[in-house]
Amino acid sequence: MQGILPFVVRRLIWAPFVLLAVSLVTFALGRFGPGDPVEILQGQYHDPERVEAIRHEQGLDDPFFAQYGRYMWDVFHGDLGTSFTYLGVPVKDIIFDKMWVTIQYNLVALIIIFAIGIPAGIWAALRQGTWQDPLTIGGFLFFRSVPVLVTIPVLQFIFALKLGWLPSSGWVEKDILGMKIGIFDKRIIMPILALSLPGIAGVARLMRAQTLEVLDEDFVRTARAKGLREIVVITRHVARNALLPMTTIVGFALVGLLGGSLFVEALFGIPGIGQFTWEAVGNRDYDVIMAVTLITATAFIVANLVTDIAYGFIDPRVRLGAGGPRY
Amino acid sequence: MTDADLTVGEPMEEAHPRLGGTALRRLARKRLAMVCLVAIVVIYLAGLLAPWVTPYGYNEQDLDNTFAGPSLSHPLGTDRLGRDMLSRVIWASQTTVIISAAAIFTGGLVLGVGLGLLAGYVGGWLDNVIMRVADAFFALPDILLLLLITATIRPRVEDLFDRFESWPVAGGLVEAGAPDYFLVFGALALFGWVGIARLIRSQVLSLRESDYVLAARASGASVGRILARHLLPNVGNIIIVSVTFSLGAMAGTEILLSWLGIGITYPHPSFGAMIAAGSDLSSLRAHPHLLLVPAAVVALLLFAFNLLGDALNDVLSPRRG
Amino acid sequence: MRNLVLVLGGLVIAVAVVVGVVAALVGGGGDGEESSQGTPAAQITGTPSAAAGGELRLLGRDPLTLDPACASDVDSANYIVEVFGGLVTIDRDLQIVPDIAERWDISDDGTVYTFYLRRGVLFHKGDRQVTASDVKYSMERALDPDTQSTVGEVYLGDIVGAEEFVDGEAEEVTGIEVVDNYTLNITIDAPQVSFLAKLTYPTAFVVDRNQVEGSTCFSGTNWQRKPNATGPFKLAEWDLGQRIVLEPNSRYHLGAPLLGRLVYTLGGGSAITMYENDELDVTGVGLNDIERVRDPAEPLNAEFHEAPRMDIWYIGFSVQTPPFDDLKVRQAFAHAIDKDKLIEVVLLDAVVEADGILPPSIPGFNEDLQGLEFDPEKARQLLAESSYGGPEGLPDIEIASSGRGASVGPVSEAILAMWEENLGIEISTRQAETATFFHDVHEGKYQMFEMGWVADYPDPENFLTIQFHSDSTTNYSQYANADVDRLLEEADAEADEATRLSLYQQAEQIIVNDVPWIPLFHDEFNVLIKPYVKDYTLPPFVIPRMRYVYIEE
Repeated sequence: MQGILPFVVRRLIWAPFVLLAVSLVTFALGRFGPGDPVEILQGQYHDPERVEAIRHEQGLDDPFFAQYGRYMWDVFHGDLGTSFTYLGVPVKDIIFDKMWVTIQYNLVALIIIFAIGIPAGIWAALRQGTWQDPLTIGGFLFFRSVPVLVTIPVLQFIFALKLGWLPSSGWVEKDILGMKIGIFDKRIIMPILALSLPGIAGVARLMRAQTLEVLDEDFVRTARAKGLREIVVITRHVARNALLPMTTIVGFALVGLLGGSLFVEALFGIPGIGQFTWEAVGNRDYDVIMAVTLITATAFIVANLVTDIAYGFIDPRVRLGAGGPRY
Repeated sequence: MTDADLTVGEPMEEAHPRLGGTALRRLARKRLAMVCLVAIVVIYLAGLLAPWVTPYGYNEQDLDNTFAGPSLSHPLGTDRLGRDMLSRVIWASQTTVIISAAAIFTGGLVLGVGLGLLAGYVGGWLDNVIMRVADAFFALPDILLLLLITATIRPRVEDLFDRFESWPVAGGLVEAGAPDYFLVFGALALFGWVGIARLIRSQVLSLRESDYVLAARASGASVGRILARHLLPNVGNIIIVSVTFSLGAMAGTEILLSWLGIGITYPHPSFGAMIAAGSDLSSLRAHPHLLLVPAAVVALLLFAFNLLGDALNDVLSPRRG
Repeated sequence: MRNLVLVLGGLVIAVAVVVGVVAALVGGGGDGEESSQGTPAAQITGTPSAAAGGELRLLGRDPLTLDPACASDVDSANYIVEVFGGLVTIDRDLQIVPDIAERWDISDDGTVYTFYLRRGVLFHKGDRQVTASDVKYSMERALDPDTQSTVGEVYLGDIVGAEEFVDGEAEEVTGIEVVDNYTLNITIDAPQVSFLAKLTYPTAFVVDRNQVEGSTCFSGTNWQRKPNATGPFKLAEWDLGQRIVLEPNSRYHLGAPLLGRLVYTLGGGSAITMYENDELDVTGVGLNDIERVRDPAEPLNAEFHEAPRMDIWYIGFSVQTPPFDDLKVRQAFAHAIDKDKLIEVVLLDAVVEADGILPPSIPGFNEDLQGLEFDPEKARQLLAESSYGGPEGLPDIEIASSGRGASVGPVSEAILAMWEENLGIEISTRQAETATFFHDVHEGKYQMFEMGWVADYPDPENFLTIQFHSDSTTNYSQYANADVDRLLEEADAEADEATRLSLYQQAEQIIVNDVPWIPLFHDEFNVLIKPYVKDYTLPPFVIPRMRYVYIEE
């Protein structure tokens, strides 16, 4: 795979500029609107002088680019600023804890999506032409069609109210090997269900398509012709080859999940980054908003890059970058 | 936006025949797909014809008849202000029609298709710039930014539009909530183009080397001509399939946005606003129809779009479908 | 100076508007906040058993800060009053009683307060006693501009020398004078009945100088995870967004708390479901549950408690802005709202209709006040008589409310429909986020807005002078009436209680007639409390109250 190194280098050179653009846009959006965190602190009570004084102390009345420059300078020195939601608490003390919460159950949901979606996709492909194929895919498509804002209260109604099997909400952490883990608590079952149910369809559908493609390949026919048992053909030859392209969508799937986390967290009372970000926007918690944007943007860029590289390895037909002839 | 992202994230199957008569006939043979198409058309038509087909106005309140169950005069019951649920659901479909159409055509199609074609065919630095800009937009946490935009820019945009309220034509638009639509679609468009652009670009990259494009180039056809005559028709399948999925995704996105307060607000009903009003657990317990009626319609719509998209994908791909 | 005490109340609204729309009005699952207040009438009394202990589980929200000098919101104050203490406090009968100060004298002219400190008041950690200089340090810290408190001056600005200190012209607040270790003089610039009440707010609470030195509201806040203070409870755990655990201070000088532990779950969720699943001991009841809970056949009914709140929800007019610069237009809008119907149907009688400004639970409430009754005929007539000549002559009107979410809420939607039906006016809505809303209200940008006001202390002045005196910075309506100003000024300075209240009542009637506001309703607490939780009070504003609570075996 020659040519991959310059490709990676080129993308890495671009990354800081992308991040810079992202940070500038977010920073500007935060400062653009009427009202600021100090005004929220004062609430209905109104003392313009005091607000001005604190704004000044906090540097909120400096010119826009002075504020932006100062913030970015601090970020380069590892300081993500302080929060207005938890007054005076350094952002880095909060944000990674919150992200850890969200990542935990998102990873579980991701695993479930693939663990169900892949076998379901293979199954559907093998049953192509029968009623089982459309029923499998259609069933998962149905779950994908129900908005998560409907799924959640219905799940709560069934499992917490009617059956009383699960607590309706909450997040309880246990100390496991020095890490705070919340996914071994039954409270997390419903959030994970709500998060993963809509995602399975996508994986199953792609897996089905990949399997169908592989089933057509010569080596599968050869294997079958050799009289290998069907289960061996499927696991050894078909599944393995069809699985490879699946790796490229892991990143996208995770991104999709993270978007849905806000709703899951708000309705299930999970103290993750989604809910926190929502509060931060309401509180005009500038530094938190910036930190969330910068961290997620970095993660997206990396995931994107990894995905592209994976594509390149797996499917050499996809060209890296713009290597073709010029005009 | 779970739905949108996942849709974009699924690479379409490659190499599609053109949607010619054969494909259409094959689609028509799929009964399920036809049922879906009918469901979508019915919901959209109802939405378009809302002013004529609804028995009540969307905001016609009757405080003496709140939380009513189904009856002859109110087939789907009434809500907490005694408004007819059936009428509100129909009006909500109208909101969905408008949103979907506007978002697809501003963001998904024009920007996405155009930039994807350009990046893929012209390549070089232009490709690099477009794709890096795409990266930047893709890297932005879209919900966060939409929230920010609503919190900070929206009040000022509204102020701006308020000035036009007395103008003859624009005034009516403003009162109908145009600033909200403008802002939400503008933002969605900004984020919506990236997925389609990437898909189209990769498709174009492989088509570019195909015999007939090479032949066209050799015969001295201009870039614009090659794009319009040879490449655009060949990526048509991708466009059709992704538009189908995107329409569903947009309807789903509206629900999430409305819940976050980014969507269309009073007095226009939307599925998002209706679901948000009924989605509280206690509300579901006391008045289940407030949630289940809009949820059923919207789930049906999304389901139909998903199944139809799936069927189109099958029909348009060369394999035995 | 009109820097009166409304921040506590102020942020209740910020919270209540957001939560209120979702929980109280739409009828969400209810929120811990709703359950955490009430009046003394609503005590769930019993006799404490000898054995202390037991755990009380509540739903809470993260405090903005646990620094008493900086707290301006109800969430923060709720925890701070349990963990910290000051010279005086408020007991569950809402009387001002000794805390760190054992007793106090007030000079004849009403300006010099001499506090005699209790001996042996200890901080949570160690054996250091609280002395007069700790009190002075804590108050000066709250006023110090370097601390960057938004509220220090609000509560303590009446002290002589405070302003010079805030402006950096003086090294210390001359009005706070340490006489000896256990005696402190505080001099205020003018006699004021409510000054003592201000000292019960967190701003005047005592902090441990060794712990807080160098910290401000915005930096060095680490100490707040383990604050060393003098209150009835110690902060045992604060896990951001997850939970707060308070443990009793066994050395508390007013008597150790009876509870063994107090656990606040912070994440959120459906409170009433958690209550029914036995995960919480107290919950608010939202509109969607209230009918079920009220049903005598329902087992929960026995655990249901109602109590009045000291607040008012209203629609405010900007009386300088067309079309509400015309009294007749304002009157027409008021007469066009059918409050009875609104409260019965939309709010399910979970609130009390408001004719005037003052809530029924406050001294000076006027039963004979003449409100503007529902009369669509009269409303149309008034509108026709106005300078705008009728609905066609009115400019475009927009009503603003605060909050985020899909809808402006059923209350607003019902009112808008009433105006449309009874006056033929279509009004558009604007929903602004809290930050934007406050900013624009302060700027007088809205023609009309929805708001609420919650009492900081049970005094008509807290409602009338603060909202309607033409000099007040919180007079969002820009309402100005010389007669009202005069009456309010007289009342504020009047020593005789009966005369004072009657002056307020006269002012209130004029205000109601001038319609700068359309008063809508006063909230109520609708709360479920487990039967084994005893002596849980529902005070109308934040007071330390958890030390009374106990769990019956």
